[in-house]
Amino acid sequence: MKETVGITALVPPELIYACGKRPMDVNNLVPESSLSPGSKLCAWTAIWRDMILNGGLDIDSLVVVAGGDCHNALVDGQKVELNGMSTHYFFYPFDRDTDYLRSQLEKLTRFLGGIKDEKMFSLISDLKSKGRALDELRVNDRARASDVFSALISFSDLCRNPDVFEKTLNNVPETDVEYSSRIALIGVPPIYPDFHETAESFGLHVVYDELPYEFLRLGGSDLDSLARSYSEYSFAGSIKNRVELIKDELQRRRVDGVIHYTQFACHHTLEDEIFREYLDYPILTVQGDLPRPSSEQLKLRLEAFSEMLEVMP
Amino acid sequence: MNIGLDVGSTTAKVVHMEDSEVIFSKVVPSHRWIELINDGQDDRNIVSTGYFRKRVPRFAAITEITTASLGARYHDPDVQVIVDIGGQDTKVIDLRSNTFVINDKCSAGTGAFLELAAHYFDIPVGSLGELHSRATKGAQINNTCGVFAISEMISQLVGGFSMEEVIYGLHQAFAMRIAQMVPPANTVMLIGGTVQNTGIVDSVKNVLDSKIEVPGAPQLVNALGAALYMERLDDSG
Repeated sequence: MKETVGITALVPPELIYACGKRPMDVNNLVPESSLSPGSKLCAWTAIWRDMILNGGLDIDSLVVVAGGDCHNALVDGQKVELNGMSTHYFFYPFDRDTDYLRSQLEKLTRFLGGIKDEKMFSLISDLKSKGRALDELRVNDRARASDVFSALISFSDLCRNPDVFEKTLNNVPETDVEYSSRIALIGVPPIYPDFHETAESFGLHVVYDELPYEFLRLGGSDLDSLARSYSEYSFAGSIKNRVELIKDELQRRRVDGVIHYTQFACHHTLEDEIFREYLDYPILTVQGDLPRPSSEQLKLRLEAFSEMLEVMP
Repeated sequence: MNIGLDVGSTTAKVVHMEDSEVIFSKVVPSHRWIELINDGQDDRNIVSTGYFRKRVPRFAAITEITTASLGARYHDPDVQVIVDIGGQDTKVIDLRSNTFVINDKCSAGTGAFLELAAHYFDIPVGSLGELHSRATKGAQINNTCGVFAISEMISQLVGGFSMEEVIYGLHQAFAMRIAQMVPPANTVMLIGGTVQNTGIVDSVKNVLDSKIEVPGAPQLVNALGAALYMERLDDSG
């Protein structure tokens, strides 16, 4: 049985597989959790922390993405480490410095025991091509956003088994989608497990999920190409680059409105004003805290946003 | 005839329109909304809105964001921002960008906050505006949390401020909380039942640089917008 490596945010999964381990994105278990952590800022990190501390996650080691993206993870990761978990800290550069990222990837490779199976790079690259095709399918109204999101969000760890995951990708149903407005969902993914289904029930077709698209967009076949590609991970770098990337995607995907999901006590929440200033689209900002089915407050906002895009001039 | 039915958290309102003119309106407590629907009335000309919009007879149900936008523009086609102060939440709609924010997580800046204060003084909530007008200065209330604002209010009474001065200060704190949600704009329209409190209107005028508009019947704007939406559906066949 391969060792399981927990990851707290995007860590190149192709490298983990190439090192003979299997990644588990600890966030993917959070939306279905009923835990209410006592000590928390962001519920995402607090819940995976408590899951690990309580022995509820079957992992052998943990890679904490502590530089770039999620800052709360740095502290919660150390709590896990102090409890005895083998833990490694991974830092993205803010300035896209590929040499720096390469050195981080080298350290990570050493922590993972070295590269043992190089063919995993091409295997995962092929799966990401399939993922991009699936993404285009929903852009062209040929797949439900909820089905596509479920598949794309899993590209951070490929469901711990690329063979099984490929079958999941192949089984995403192709169907004509009817809707009233095309939506981009930016920010960290919603902690609500039924967000996309709820949006669909109000005629909102999500044609862009910002973070899962990063999982598909980035990749590589060795440490050099991984460093070049992942240094452009938009959540870790300058927001100017992120805004430009988002703008391109909004235009390409013919979006009518933007939903910015923010997580309570997450520093990304502070980016809302920047998006409102630089994205020339109607924007709805919603905030979640604990993972629960969509609340009536959220439904009211989604319904009103849908009406606003459809009814108002 | 087109009917707009707004069943909110506190009151239910109905507006009847014919040829874009209001011919009838009525307000009752929410739990008596049934009194606004005539026996045997055909619900094919009713558009509902408010918290209970999907619990009442209707042809269509739409949110208060849409009805407020339509109703406010009926009063002033050039209005830029709407502040809808309801019993349980406050909504700010920027018509220039089709965006809105809703405060429904804390009571400060909602009608519930004022009801809490009125309950403490054992006075009708409808008398707060009159008491506000009698004050020549206000007690400083810094807290934007409804519960802590009441504690602070009690401290100010202990410190010697009169009830009128404390109410004035509460209205100022209320207006400051609202102002945090309002973007810069030339014209801001205040709607909702709470706006009948002239102390709130005065305080909002004090803290915002915008021209503040209050329509004749601010509590009916959402029902009016619902009736206008029904009219629109009628026109489109």
